Amino acid sequence: MSPKGKTELMWLLGVSAILVVSAVANIAFIDGHTANIAQPTDLQTVPANSTIINVTGSQWVWEFQIGNQTYFNSGNGHSGALPLVLNHTYTFEVTSKDVIHDLSIPEFGVQSYAVPGHENQVSFKPTKLGYYYFECVEYCGFEHYEMRGYIDVTNGGAS
Amino acid sequence: MSFLPVSYQALPGVVAGATHYVLEVMIILTILGVLTFYIYYLISSRKEAVEEAAGKEGYTDSSEYVRDKMYGRKRKADFSMFIYDDAKSIGLRYIFTGIAFLFLAGSFGVMMRVSLVDPNPVVISPVLYDIFLTQHATLMIYMFALGVGFGFAYYLLPSYLRLKKDNMGTLSSVAYWIWLLGGALFVVSRSSMRWYMYPPLSLQLTPYGAGMANWLAVIAMELIFIGITMASIIVLKIIFLDRADDMPLSKMPIFAWSIVFTLIMVVSSDPPLMVGLGMLFYDFFNPVFFTASSNTVLNFAILFWFWGHPIVYIAVLPFFGLIYEIIQKFTGGKVYSYSSAIIGMGTLLIFSELVWGHHLLNSGLGVDWVLFFTTTSFVVVIPSAISVFNWIATLWTADRIRLSTPMLFVINAIFDFILGGIEGVMLANDSFNEIAHGTYFVTGHFHFIFVGMTLGVTMAVFYMLYPTFSGGRVYNERLAKWHFYITAFGSFLMSFSWSVGGFLGMPRAVAGYFPFFQPYQDSAIIGGVIIGIGQLVFLYNIATSWLKKPVTDTNNAFETVEDIPAAVSEAEPLAKDTQAVNGGE
Ligand code: HEM
Ligand SMILES: [Cu+2]
Repeated sequence: MSPKGKTELMWLLGVSAILVVSAVANIAFIDGHTANIAQPTDLQTVPANSTIINVTGSQWVWEFQIGNQTYFNSGNGHSGALPLVLNHTYTFEVTSKDVIHDLSIPEFGVQSYAVPGHENQVSFKPTKLGYYYFECVEYCGFEHYEMRGYIDVTNGGAS
Repeated sequence: MSFLPVSYQALPGVVAGATHYVLEVMIILTILGVLTFYIYYLISSRKEAVEEAAGKEGYTDSSEYVRDKMYGRKRKADFSMFIYDDAKSIGLRYIFTGIAFLFLAGSFGVMMRVSLVDPNPVVISPVLYDIFLTQHATLMIYMFALGVGFGFAYYLLPSYLRLKKDNMGTLSSVAYWIWLLGGALFVVSRSSMRWYMYPPLSLQLTPYGAGMANWLAVIAMELIFIGITMASIIVLKIIFLDRADDMPLSKMPIFAWSIVFTLIMVVSSDPPLMVGLGMLFYDFFNPVFFTASSNTVLNFAILFWFWGHPIVYIAVLPFFGLIYEIIQKFTGGKVYSYSSAIIGMGTLLIFSELVWGHHLLNSGLGVDWVLFFTTTSFVVVIPSAISVFNWIATLWTADRIRLSTPMLFVINAIFDFILGGIEGVMLANDSFNEIAHGTYFVTGHFHFIFVGMTLGVTMAVFYMLYPTFSGGRVYNERLAKWHFYITAFGSFLMSFSWSVGGFLGMPRAVAGYFPFFQPYQDSAIIGGVIIGIGQLVFLYNIATSWLKKPVTDTNNAFETVEDIPAAVSEAEPLAKDTQAVNGGE
């Protein structure tokens, strides 16, 4: 092999090594966190001991329903932060009444599209105390930017 | 079908009454009518003159006369490019139209940016913001990036490939006008459905959904697709059938190869979205295809990204090819490895058809598909790495590199591509994508590449061809350098601020934001405004030098036929045409 080819091969092996490491880490993450990846409700069982929260997006409100309690957030008003308990598993069942929305809680790596006529499910466990924001990250019209609010992770006792 | 979420009067912004819209439609139609008539008048009067000249020389077919006269000649950019339909004229049309759209869409971009000085949309209304958002993205991709891509192909390939004939001019011209009509109607539609066009949002015909004239935007997109599909097939035909007999495929300039791969990608990936748009248009009247009740809303998103990922590579691949060519001109040597350049770009074509799902990782594709698309996204990096290596190796092994403006743009393009590429790899990790999808991190990722490479290389080529375009003028090299440094700095500042903000979860495509994101927004605004200033320097430089008298001959080193294909020719003494290579004073 020519020296030119060798240099190129070395470079490609180097790049590939980095990519293989990333790819393996990625596969490991996906395998270990299948419940944390948004997918249609009917493809996935709800993790044991988790509290189901029904999330509905609509123009331009997020509604969270826990049991018979409802919280909402929109540009025109809100019902206060969504209260969550530390180290408790929650399962969001996310859907939409009108157009496609996307609920994201960056701090906890939770993200799921809210698609009309289709329910997605994503489970997660808040591991830090405090106030964290959530937001709609799929453009959904005029007041898209105001579909945002806070969750409040506490030590609980309530639920 | 109740798509009116809130009554018009209940919200601030556009006040809508029936008369208001009828009036608006009438004004738009009138403007279109007047413009069409004016163009018709210009063309028919010019055509008469051409026919007369052709008749004098004994031609019966005036187009044949034009091609005989024009073929292979260097072409100056003037109004005649809209009349003649030889490949070079078509190329000039695409290049200058593309650059015009760059400035239009760029000014939308700057206005969006500036409007974000305040966390609340006080500078412009959210409706206007959403319109700018949609227009900026769509016009930049379909009209600027694709436009200059086709332009450089039509303009440079006749010289590079020493075409035997040039006989598809009329069809090329038709393709151009259809594409331009599509772009113009898209602007007129003032659609705010974002470039994704996802239903049901795009079916909401209100200013608060996705725009009153969205149906027009969908027609406009179809026209754009018809135009680019036609042009792609014609250019592929030119490359494969019309190139000189003594130029085997294995010796074609790398740029020609990059165009081949780009256009194969266009014709193989745009049919799904063209079909999808047709179905979407149906849904305006009787929603049967993408409705919630039939559980198929996401299907449009899938058709969209089936094309949506290839298009982002389509918008850079021609510039890969141009970078190879420019580097050879400025180092005076051959490219490090011709064959791996071709292999790299060819495998890029194949792999980039397999990664589209990485734009929908959180939509509910299911774990298996997430695994598949994230893994293929790592694989697609290897072809890009091959090209990056090849560029760097060519520069590394060169005896000397002349660092005039075009070369600076190219070096910056490579640098920005590496940064954007690394961000792409980060995004392909699902653990990070769950955080960064829908945030400014994605915006940072592709603006590094689009501003650095698509815009930067366009400018590099424009400068190199400038003596020819302008009929022998030279631009001011100092201003050109300023243009480069200002653009490169502004682009870095903007994309970097976005990447940091996005890393922390700052959402994109919003007219307002949480106040704690203000620092990242503000520094991105500074960056965006700086980019804008840089382009004004460019305009000023071009305008002032074009007004001066011609001082040099109209050659440019970039399309001098003798030393092409550069890929296989021996290094030539550069001194021969230094002036033309620099293109500047
Ligand atoms: C080096 C290989 C690349 C990888 C691994 C990669 C990866 C990704 C990923 C995973 C996303 C999805 C982000 C999200 O929305 O969650 C993305 C978005 C995007 N990429 Fe890349 N990318 C690469 C190269 C490029 C290139 C060369 C371009 C051309 C400019 C490009 C343009 C874009 C655009 C425009 C988007 C956003 C589309 C949108 O949502 O509006 N990428 N990329
Ligand atoms: Cu992609």
